[in-house]
Amino acid sequence: MAPLETPLPRSRGVSVASVFERYGLIVFLIVLLLVAAALSPTFLRPANLVNVLTIAAPLGMVVVGQTFVILVRGLDLSVASLMATVAVLATAFRATTNDAIPMIFVAAIAFSAVVGFVNGWLVAKRDVSPFLATLAMMIILQGVRFAYTGGAPISTLPPGMGFLASGRILGIPVNLMTLALLAIVFGVVLHRSRLGREIFMVGSNPKAAFLNGVAPDRVIIFCYVICSVCAGIGGLFLLGYVGTVSNWVGQGYELDSIVAAVMGGVALTGGRGNIFAALLGVAVLVIINNLVLLLGFPIEMQLIIKGIIIIGAAAFYRTRLA
Amino acid sequence: MSAVVAELRRNRLSLSYVIVAVLLILLVVAGGFLSDRFLTWRNFGNLFQQLVVLGMVSLGQTFVVLLGGIDLAVGSLVSASTVFIAHFLEWRPDLLWLALPLALVAATAIGALNGLLTIVLRVHPLIVTLGMSSIIFGGTLMYNKEPGGSVPRSLADFSYAKLWGIPVTAIVLVAIFALAGLWLQRSRSGRSIYFVGGDREAARLNGLPVNRIVVMAYALSGLCAGLAAIFLTARTGVGDPRIGTALTLQSITPVVVGGTILAGGRGGVLGTLLGVLLVTMLNNLLNFLNVSSYYQWVIQGLIIIIAVSIHTTRRRQ
Repeated sequence: MAPLETPLPRSRGVSVASVFERYGLIVFLIVLLLVAAALSPTFLRPANLVNVLTIAAPLGMVVVGQTFVILVRGLDLSVASLMATVAVLATAFRATTNDAIPMIFVAAIAFSAVVGFVNGWLVAKRDVSPFLATLAMMIILQGVRFAYTGGAPISTLPPGMGFLASGRILGIPVNLMTLALLAIVFGVVLHRSRLGREIFMVGSNPKAAFLNGVAPDRVIIFCYVICSVCAGIGGLFLLGYVGTVSNWVGQGYELDSIVAAVMGGVALTGGRGNIFAALLGVAVLVIINNLVLLLGFPIEMQLIIKGIIIIGAAAFYRTRLA
Repeated sequence: MSAVVAELRRNRLSLSYVIVAVLLILLVVAGGFLSDRFLTWRNFGNLFQQLVVLGMVSLGQTFVVLLGGIDLAVGSLVSASTVFIAHFLEWRPDLLWLALPLALVAATAIGALNGLLTIVLRVHPLIVTLGMSSIIFGGTLMYNKEPGGSVPRSLADFSYAKLWGIPVTAIVLVAIFALAGLWLQRSRSGRSIYFVGGDREAARLNGLPVNRIVVMAYALSGLCAGLAAIFLTARTGVGDPRIGTALTLQSITPVVVGGTILAGGRGGVLGTLLGVLLVTMLNNLLNFLNVSSYYQWVIQGLIIIIAVSIHTTRRRQ
């Protein structure tokens, strides 16, 4: 037990500045909720809120992974392409009974882990910039997927896949429970374990991390594997929500996940961020999208508002900590 | 030619260029053996017509990447410009002389705004241009969701015009690349892009107007997107709010294949031109060989990884 007078240095993003960041975001979220409630009396009803969050759950899973990669100064553009590829992979079993679901999950996670390993290997061992490595992976997965489906995927899925999106256990939506589980497990890894500390060290100063006996390459590869696995799981849940397989399941999630993480205060320069704040970023993004519709604006307005917010959020955190 | 030699010498990148050039020659020879339609005058005419748009956008991307930045707004900007040009010309076909410069000025201004925002807000260019891309795309869609507008005959004729059998658009493209190369190598402002891209702080300490140079590079990227939009509208005859979407990421491949590194400070427009030729010819040949476009994607991804790996390995040695 460590004596109270000498607290361990907490370079894990839980500093005064990051608390401010988190409160700033919470205030923003509350304002958004109040505006939404004022505009539509049904918005704040638990049923509607759960609905909104349910739609956001797969994105949340991707954001959990994206956070890991951004923390080590990277970013992953291949997540959306991976989500669609995993969705297509799920049909490859041509399964019509629910017995196949565990197999689908194992296959999806294994495939995602391999993809993440290749991404991480290219970045860490081959010095390819994360942008280009994951961009190439995005295009390659897209080609493999289309070549396999011939452009028109079949939609043979076990009926239980829909349960992932709309099912409930003890009244709690399964997908929100899974998201919470993922966030807590990876949140503990990131913010409470030795490995997590190493991730923050590599992200803030790879050379210092190396001198402290941390192998940056291994940590970086680990982060990319986590990111891809989260995206793969998110892909299966999104598939369950959409119900039919298309070659473009998850399109746009690569950018949305980066936007949400940045809004949640995860710094693109690496070494600073918090998984739970990143998830608040997801909530803000989804509520804004919902608000645009509530306000009766055309849906294209979402794009404009999203653009302004991502630039604004990045500028906000920059000046906060400058 | 002397400009080409000068560029090789000054950037010590000759080997990168030689590698890409050798690959290009291998491709042409292999293409000649594999398909009897590949090595024809007619095919090369088509090819050059096709690569003009990608070439223009990649040229603009090169300036920004040399600076250590990236411009992810080019695709949306090209789309928006085609929509503007086609609708303006449908309204007043006689004002061609006004519509085109107006489009170029607007595109340049939006590019400059990208650069300005990275400086004023001190936000990573990836985020700034991504956000701008979303804003431009949303704005274009709010104006018009479907392809529309039209262009006068004279503009359409320009895109198919030939001089001694060579498409005029391709001649224009090569001329613009040559100008850009000369400017980058020979002029003080051009050289300063390399300086700022190599080490921004050192450039600042040496008294270079770093902020102005950054804004200029992004403005040039916008200008190139505007020019690409003119070529594109002339060929398709409509303004399409989605036509440029894929160009954003496509424009980065030739730049990195040509040896310009994403960290900035090294590379050049000759490499980009070779990269554009390589990518376009490869796709063209694969089409002749009936390789599905799906596998072309896989090959494009592999090319990025291989090219970048080769260039980084060379740097380490």
